[in-house]
Amino acid sequence: MSSQDVFAHDAQIIDRGYRKYDGPRTGVIGAQRAVFRHSVQRALGMRRTIWAKVLPIATIGFAYVPAIVFVGVIALFPAADTADIELPSYGEYYTFVIAAIMAFVAIVAPEVLCTDRRTGMLGVYLAAPLDRDTYLVAKSAAIGFALSLVCLGPPLFMLVANVLQSQGPEGFVDIVDTLWRVLVAGLAVTALYTGITVGITSLTDRKFIAMAAIMLLFLVSLSTAGIIQGVGGAKGIFCIAPTPLSLELAARVHGERTQIMDGVPSATVWLAWAAWTFGGFALARNRLRHLPVTR
Amino acid sequence: MGAVIEVQGVVKRWGTTLALGGASCTVGPGVTGLLGANGAGKTSLLGLILGLDRPDEGQIRVFGIDPATAGPDVRALLGYSPEHHLLPPDVKAVDFVRHVAEVHGLPPREATNRASDVLWQVGLGEERGRPLGTMSTGQRQRVKLAQALAHDPKLVLLDEPTDGLDPVQRDAMLELIHRIGHEFEITVLLSSHLLEEVERICDAAVILAGGVVAASGSLEQLRGTGEGVAVEFDGTPQLVNDTLAIVHRTGAHIRPEGRGFVISGDEHLAATVRDAIATTGIGLRRLGRRTVSLEEVFLGVGAAADPALDPRRASHLPPPPGVAHQGPFGALPPPPPPASLPPPPAAPSMPWPGGRP
Repeated sequence: MSSQDVFAHDAQIIDRGYRKYDGPRTGVIGAQRAVFRHSVQRALGMRRTIWAKVLPIATIGFAYVPAIVFVGVIALFPAADTADIELPSYGEYYTFVIAAIMAFVAIVAPEVLCTDRRTGMLGVYLAAPLDRDTYLVAKSAAIGFALSLVCLGPPLFMLVANVLQSQGPEGFVDIVDTLWRVLVAGLAVTALYTGITVGITSLTDRKFIAMAAIMLLFLVSLSTAGIIQGVGGAKGIFCIAPTPLSLELAARVHGERTQIMDGVPSATVWLAWAAWTFGGFALARNRLRHLPVTR
Repeated sequence: MGAVIEVQGVVKRWGTTLALGGASCTVGPGVTGLLGANGAGKTSLLGLILGLDRPDEGQIRVFGIDPATAGPDVRALLGYSPEHHLLPPDVKAVDFVRHVAEVHGLPPREATNRASDVLWQVGLGEERGRPLGTMSTGQRQRVKLAQALAHDPKLVLLDEPTDGLDPVQRDAMLELIHRIGHEFEITVLLSSHLLEEVERICDAAVILAGGVVAASGSLEQLRGTGEGVAVEFDGTPQLVNDTLAIVHRTGAHIRPEGRGFVISGDEHLAATVRDAIATTGIGLRRLGRRTVSLEEVFLGVGAAADPALDPRRASHLPPPPGVAHQGPFGALPPPPPPASLPPPPAAPSMPWPGGRP
């Protein structure tokens, strides 16, 4: 076979021209799925530069460090050496990682929501089968999924590791009982931070302003509640601060109490959770409804 | 194929601002230009067509579907290229187009294939792996066009697609849009304030002025062919005057335009002009049906609906026949006759003393 024959045999038409598409379309659900996947990737820095990956990976890593240490201590040292070590409960775990949770929470929502407004992607999305509500649902789900990596993942990892090492709950009933508490606590904390950050982020299209606003909310509300309580205010005042509220929520789901909000009725705690969570979503929905997207 | 977009008596207010005040028009297949000055209501109309906003009054149908009540169904058939140049700077062009195709309902594998194909179609095949932030304005305009096409829409809305392009890039973009409308068989609604662009590539136009559709129809209809004849003589001023005087005596209106004259009159006008030329023996450089440019149409009807736009042109330019003229309260009264010449006198007179140089 000559070289000319080889060339002719291997020749391909590269420009296929414009092709019509008559195949299936995935509709609104498919659009939400695509937005969800893209947003999670964006929040975690996937398909982006190395610098965009550093912060999310680092904060996620910090959230898992205590769980890895606790599990590692049990796994690596003889039982006799660790018998006196009192490991934190699942409810107490959040106090070890609250800083990492706060940092990750401040990163995710601004990255996912502000970028869309800043870069005009919001208009592109809403010119697709999505509408404002289905868009917000997809984005909130993505933010919630990303936040669950630090709010739900570490306790769940600790539970699985403890069960595998026969150090955790024993017996099917105990395991299921602990599992649902871990899931409910993790999801409640995730929902709380998702609602709050979605609401705050909807107020601006600038990422760094949104990040600063989220951190300020956490810190100012905590210090304000602390001052009020310090001058004789009720412990329930800490319901205005998302950080201690999330710790209290997790503790109560596991049948425990924190010292900060001991004595506050559970109904008050859950009402505060609902107000922060749904208030945040309502604020975001209201803001989104009035945003011009074709300009 | 019938109308793709039907707009009937649409009113849209933003607070106290009236964006659209009873707009009605029809958009058919091919490429249609949506013309209007800033604030004329173009973007508001696009938002209503996309179903992102609801009209306060009136109705819009896109492929027979009401976007106000079935927005997702309508938008599944549409592609939209926004006016702004802002795109995620750290996302590669092919990833961006693929993602938008997926959002429009294409399965991931198909979206990946079509993203590459359509980027080749818009001339970015070699650049498809580049982050959007490193692309020029012209390239980003092409990416925006590609994302609007990737899911094979039936209708594409392009908002100022040549904004920020240099003349060479603009020519290429216009050629591409023309191909989309005719070769790809996708209906295109091109929002622009550049009349020349619309005149070059569009089959029809909708002219918005002051929130109403001042005129709409095919470009041929808009330009008109029955306003009279355009004639340019080759002779002495005396001969020109003699010839025009003969024509004027029949009741025809004559006004200068450029190097010649526009003569309007009855159905025998062409024969009248021919006979006058034969009588005086004047030379003839040009004689033909007088057509108007889209700019003249725009200024004429746009200013008629909103005199603040250009009262000078509105006062003397008659709208071409066959064009649907609408005002905020329905049909506009017929425009006044050309004021260039007085009514024909009973006795022969010199309409242009001294003739035209």
